[in-house]
Amino acid sequence: MGYLKYLAFRIVNALLVLLIVTFIISALFVRVAEESNRSKMYEELMLWERTEGAKIKQSQGLEAFEQAKAAKQASLEEKYELNIPYWQKVYRKAVRTLKLDFGTTSMPIFGTNNVSDIIKVAVPRSILLFTTATIIVIILGIFLGVRAARHAGSVFDRGLSIFALLTYSLPMWWTGMMFLLIFAFKLGWFPLSSMFDPQLTGWAHVKDVLWKLALPVFTYVFVVFGGWAWTTRNIMIGTLQEDFIMAAKAKGVPEHKIIYGHALRAAAPPIVTMIIFALLGSLGGAIISELVFNYPGMGRLYWVALQQNETNLLIGLTYFFTVLYLAGVVLADMIYGFLDPRVKVGASARM
Amino acid sequence: MRWVDVKEGFKEFLEEFKREKTGIAGVILLVILVLVALTAPYTTIPDLPEKWRSSAYWEDNPKNVPPTWYNMFTSQKLVPQEVYYINDLKITHPSDTRTVIEADYNFPNRYILGPQGIIIRGLNVSVGDPMNAPVFDLYLLRPDGKKIPLLKNKPLSAGTISVGRDSTISANVYIWLVNVTEGREITMFEVPLQTILISDMVAPMFAKVEPGMNVTQIIENPEPLWGNYKLVLDINNPAPDKNKIMLDNIKVTFLGRSYGTMGTDYLGRDLWAGIIWGSRVSLTIGVLVSVLSTVIGLVYGVTSAYLGGNADEFMMRINEIFASIPSLPILILIGATMGHITLMFIVLLLVIFGWMGIARISRSMALQIKEQTYIEAARALGAGNGRIIFKHILPQLLPYAFAVIALSVPSAVIAEASLSFLGIGDPTAVTWGQILNAAQNQAATTKGYWWWVLPPGLGIAVVGLTFVLIGTALDKILNPRLRRL
Repeated sequence: MGYLKYLAFRIVNALLVLLIVTFIISALFVRVAEESNRSKMYEELMLWERTEGAKIKQSQGLEAFEQAKAAKQASLEEKYELNIPYWQKVYRKAVRTLKLDFGTTSMPIFGTNNVSDIIKVAVPRSILLFTTATIIVIILGIFLGVRAARHAGSVFDRGLSIFALLTYSLPMWWTGMMFLLIFAFKLGWFPLSSMFDPQLTGWAHVKDVLWKLALPVFTYVFVVFGGWAWTTRNIMIGTLQEDFIMAAKAKGVPEHKIIYGHALRAAAPPIVTMIIFALLGSLGGAIISELVFNYPGMGRLYWVALQQNETNLLIGLTYFFTVLYLAGVVLADMIYGFLDPRVKVGASARM
Repeated sequence: MRWVDVKEGFKEFLEEFKREKTGIAGVILLVILVLVALTAPYTTIPDLPEKWRSSAYWEDNPKNVPPTWYNMFTSQKLVPQEVYYINDLKITHPSDTRTVIEADYNFPNRYILGPQGIIIRGLNVSVGDPMNAPVFDLYLLRPDGKKIPLLKNKPLSAGTISVGRDSTISANVYIWLVNVTEGREITMFEVPLQTILISDMVAPMFAKVEPGMNVTQIIENPEPLWGNYKLVLDINNPAPDKNKIMLDNIKVTFLGRSYGTMGTDYLGRDLWAGIIWGSRVSLTIGVLVSVLSTVIGLVYGVTSAYLGGNADEFMMRINEIFASIPSLPILILIGATMGHITLMFIVLLLVIFGWMGIARISRSMALQIKEQTYIEAARALGAGNGRIIFKHILPQLLPYAFAVIALSVPSAVIAEASLSFLGIGDPTAVTWGQILNAAQNQAATTKGYWWWVLPPGLGIAVVGLTFVLIGTALDKILNPRLRRL
C-alpha cells in the first residue's frame, strides 16, 4: 500500500509543479509576445490605412474614416489579444497550453504552421541522434566503469579517471567544432553540415542520415562516456566494499558473478536513475550542439523559434521539455522505489 | 571552536592536501591562471575590451591568419608581420621637390606566399597651395628587376594607402601582369572586376611572372619569387614651402600571412590578447556563480530540512519548480528580450538557475545532522532557529561546500561561455564564448581556422580541469564519509 500511495503523491506533486511552471512560462512568453504583437497590429493598421482607409477617406470623408479606423483598430486589438489585461492573457495562454493547444507559427517551419506538427517532426530527429548516442554512452560507460572498479588503481583505472575529468570540463559544442575541424574539414571523413538532403528517399535517405549522424553521435559519446564510466566506477567501488560482497567472495562465488550478479544489481538504483534522466534528456536535444552541427532537431528548432520570435512554438517546446523532465522525476522515483525497498519504507513512514 | 583548533585543523588539512598530487596540480594551474588573468593588461594590450569591437583599431593586422609558430610544423611556411617606422625606412631627397621613401622587404626562401597586403599610414600632409598639391607614385621593385607600378600621379592626402584592399592598386597589378605575360597594354576598363575583387592580388606581386605565362594561372596558383623587394613611395611636392609633408609618424606594414602567438580573426583582432583577457571573465564568473549558488543552496537546503513539515514541503516544491524549468532556453529568452546584458546580470541569472541541486543534497545531509542530540540540547537551551542553522548545522556542511564550489565552477564557466556563444553576453567584455561565437558566425570551422576555435575552448577546459582537480582532492580529504559518488 505504501508504494501506491507514495506513487500517487509523487504524480499529484508533479502535476502541481507542471501547473505552476506552465503559468510561469506563459507569463514570461506573453510578455515577450505582447511587444511583437503590438508592432504587428500597427503594421496591419498602417496597411489598412493606405489601402481600404484611403478609399473610405476619398468616398465618405474624414469622419467616416476616423470611425472605420477605430473599428479596425478594435478588431485588430482583439485579434492580437491586446485589449485584455496581462494576467488574463497569461491565464488563457496557460490553459490552452495545458490542453496541448499550442496554436500556430507565423511562418511555416518544416512545411507546416501547426506547432504540434512541427514538434512532431523535430522530436524523432533528436531522438535519433541523442538517444542513439546516449545508449552507446550508457553501455560503454557501465562496461568501462565496472572494469575500472574491478581493477581500481590500475593504469586503466587512472587513465579513465583522467579522461573523465578532462572531458567533464569540455563544452560539448566546442568539442563538436573541433571534431568538425579535424574530421570534416581536415580529413574530410564526415560532412561539414548535418542538414539532411530532402531530395533523397528510401535507402539513399537512410545512408544520408547515417552519414550525417556519425560525427554528432561520436562527439556526444566522446564527451559524455568518461563521466558515466567514472560515476559507475565510484558507485561500484562503494558497493564492492560492502559486507555481502565479502560474504559472497568468502563463499567462493565466481568473480564474474559477484560483479554482474551481486554488485551491479545492488548499485542499480542510482545508475537506473541516471539512465532515465539521460534518455529523457536526450529527447530534448542540445540547443548549441545541434546549432554547431547544423542538425535539424529540437535544439536547432528552439533556436530558430527564438530568432524568428515564434512565441507559440517557444511555449510548445518549453512545455514539452518541462513535461519530459517531470515525467522523468516520477519515473525515476517509481523505479527507485521498485528497486530499492528502503525508499518505500522511508516514504510510507513519512506519509 | 577555538582559534587553536582552527589552526590545528588547517595545518592537518594542508598536510593531507600536500599528499594529493592532483590537488597540487590543480593549485599550480589555478595560480598560473590567476596570474595570467591579473597581468593581462600588462602582458597584452591595455583596455582591450574597449578596443575589441572597433574594427578600425585592428586594421593594421592581417585577417584570418594562423599563428607564427605554426611555421615550425608545416612545410608551407607563411611570412610573419613586418612593420617599418621612420628609422627603418630609407628616405632621400633627390631634389627640392621630391621625396623618396624606400622600404626593403625580404621575402625569405621556402615561404609559400608573400605578405597579405601592404599598408602605409601616418603621412601628415597640409596643403597650402591647392593648385600645386603634392602627388606620388607607388611602385614595387622585384628581385627579378621588374617594377610593378601600383599607383601613379596620385594626389597625396593624409589617408591610408592599402595594397591589397584598394581596388585601383589591384587593377594596376592586373594590368602589369597582362603587360609582362602577354606584352600588351590594357586599360582600366578591360580589367575583370570579378577577379580583382575576389582573388588575392598581392600574392602575384611576390610570384614568378615571366612572358608567356598565363595570368589566371599566376593569380590562382602563384609560384613564390624569393629575394629582396623594395617598396618605393615617390612623392613630388611642387610647392615645398606651402605644402608641408610630415613623415614622423609614418608606418609601413607588410601584413603577414601569419601573426603573433595565436593568429587573428576576421577583423584582424589579435586572438592571443583576446584569449588572455577572456580568462578574467571566465574565472570571475565561474567562481562568483559557484560560490553564490552554493551558499544559497546550502542555506536553503539546511533551512528546509531544519524547519521540516509543511515549510519543508513548500520549500522543496519551489525547488522542484526551479529545477524543472528548462534553464538554457529561459536564459536565452531573457537575454534576447533584455537586449544589453551586463556580466553581473549573467551571474545573477546563472545563480537563479543553479542552486537547486546543492539545496537538495545539503537538505538530505542536514536531515541526518538535525537528528543528533546536541541540536536537541541547543534547542532545549533556548537557541533560536537562526542560531541553530547558522551556528550548528551549516558549519558541519562547510567542508562539503568547499568541494562543491570547486566542482561546480566548470559548469558555471561552460554556462557563461554557452550564453556568450549564442550571442547573449555582455558586449563590453571579451569572453571566450564571444570569440567562439564570432568563429561560428564566420564559419571558421568549415574554413579550417583552427587557431580561432581551438584556444578559447582549451581555455574553458583548463579552467574546468583546474577546479575539478582541486575539487576532487578536497572531496577526498574533507568528506571521507559524505563522498559524492
